Amino acid sequence: MTPELTALTLAALLQYLQFALYAVPANRELGPGFTMSARDRPPNNTMSDRTARIGRAFDNHFEGLILFAIAVGVIQMSGQNSALTGLFAWIYLIARLLYVPAYAYGLRPWRSLIWFIGFIATLLMLLAALY
Amino acid sequence: MTEISILIAYGLLVMITILLQVLGVMTQISMGYVMSSRDDNRGTTGMAARIERAMNNSIVAMTLFAPAVLILEVLDKTNATTLLAAQVFMIARIIYLPVYALGVPAVRTLAWLAGFLATAVLYFQAL
Repeated sequence: MTPELTALTLAALLQYLQFALYAVPANRELGPGFTMSARDRPPNNTMSDRTARIGRAFDNHFEGLILFAIAVGVIQMSGQNSALTGLFAWIYLIARLLYVPAYAYGLRPWRSLIWFIGFIATLLMLLAALY
Repeated sequence: MTEISILIAYGLLVMITILLQVLGVMTQISMGYVMSSRDDNRGTTGMAARIERAMNNSIVAMTLFAPAVLILEVLDKTNATTLLAAQVFMIARIIYLPVYALGVPAVRTLAWLAGFLATAVLYFQAL
């Protein structure tokens, strides 16, 4: 497996981890009575700031992951893997790993900066696929 | 342009849309809010809010379009029809963004529909 595909697989697994990190405290705080309902009404309890942040980090990674998956898929499909694209893929993965604690602890401006690094790494991979 | 290069171009369009959405929050609320952990949910209004909705819709379109293109490539089933469908998708989504940002009603829905149907054509061609 190429480094790009390894990074993509790990990034997808990271999303499962992020789901668990969010689902466990969210269920404890909101109660399974709400989470397992059809959620027609707002919950009786509120989520803590930290849990809500982990939830937003989880939502945000969907966007990042889709773009990253396209970048890896396209590079893999056109056989344009290089040391550089492998490096960008790992930078993306590390950035998205760091993004979770940066958001959970509200590190400012680090969360935005880390997001931007992942964003740029994906952008460079897409551009590398074009040229 | 091949289907793959159209997919790359669409990925870049979505990234531009994401940056425009951030720019909207920055100008309407503040840079400080953008970089904060956003514990208080402060929504945007007007054009910034429309760009945000356009962004969310573009991401949904991307999750449907990207697998279709990659499947066609893996199966080596690209043809004149799939190229045309991918081009229609791309043009429709290029129109969709400014039309939504400016709040033009019917054209937006038509552009969305064109992109949606073009993606369906890709899946039928892959079968």
